Amino acid sequence: MVPDTGLCEGCMRTIDEIVAWGRADDDYKRSVWAEIRRREAQIFD
Amino acid sequence: MRLPASMQVFERGWLSANNILFAGHDGTVLVDTGYVTHAPQTLALVRHALGGRRLDRIVNTHLHSDHCGGNAALRHAFGSRIAIPACEADRVRNWDEDALSYRATGQQCARFGFDDTVAPGDVLAMGDLSWQALAAPGHDPHALLFWCEEEGILIAGDALWQNGFGVIFPELAGEPGFDEVRATLDLIASLRPRLVIPGHGAPFTDVDGSLQRAYGRLDYLSADPVRNAENAVKVLLKFLLIERRAIPLAELEKLFDTVPLLVLARERFLPLPSAGLAQWVVRALEKAGAATVQGDLLMNEESSA
Repeated sequence: MVPDTGLCEGCMRTIDEIVAWGRADDDYKRSVWAEIRRREAQIFD
Repeated sequence: MRLPASMQVFERGWLSANNILFAGHDGTVLVDTGYVTHAPQTLALVRHALGGRRLDRIVNTHLHSDHCGGNAALRHAFGSRIAIPACEADRVRNWDEDALSYRATGQQCARFGFDDTVAPGDVLAMGDLSWQALAAPGHDPHALLFWCEEEGILIAGDALWQNGFGVIFPELAGEPGFDEVRATLDLIASLRPRLVIPGHGAPFTDVDGSLQRAYGRLDYLSADPVRNAENAVKVLLKFLLIERRAIPLAELEKLFDTVPLLVLARERFLPLPSAGLAQWVVRALEKAGAATVQGDLLMNEESSA
């Protein structure tokens, strides 16, 4: 976990998102994936 | 995918295996605890999901480092009881890192104690459901499955994934593994699970499809044990690469001289000097999109999901 952001360094998800993931539907997962891509862009730009 | 309300799956990655959290009237249980370097995150996940309840028990499908690396931290935080496969009791009691595979693989695991053992045939109460422990040798000789007949749910550890199964480690040491994997797949097929929760990757319901792919993979690997050794070398290197992010190319050769399982794979199956094997694995990981060479470093490459 990155202390500043609370994100998992490997999968870029928050603790909330990892906990919710196992019961989540595809729409939720797609929205998190979009958010992950946004976070990656923010970090690597 | 329908899960009983009393259970949750934390889908992790490759360094940490998935965790399954049960919260029932019979207490709280976590099946498998991830890799040691992820222990703070595992603790945060469990705390968040339990919302103030303590974690009463930990149960491990098997004792590879990516499945029990959080045992010590969780026990420290919650005072949880730990249950391990019965055959591993002496090795854990004496913390025999050679026999427990951590030294052999070059991986780390924080030492933990245990309170209970689980043997094939035992029935565990988790999430107000009955789970039968079944022997699942092959990837690990002492691995267990947990089977809930009334829900048709199987916790498979590394015995079956959506696409494949864990490395057949025993064969590297000249011990039988291929026949054991086949018997374990046959056992899973006979259970006819509705849902499989694998040690890595998403839970899945097309179990027949996964079994067909697993049998195909087993046929391929067992037809020539060199294939199994090559697969093991790639997986072990990829694991070290995920853990360390980058490995200097100059150090790769040393790994083939010092990490016991890599030495074993080289000596028994892959007749190349260490330097040649280091070059081979770099090419193999690059080709698989699992790593890139940048300057004098081999860098981990996150596979795109």
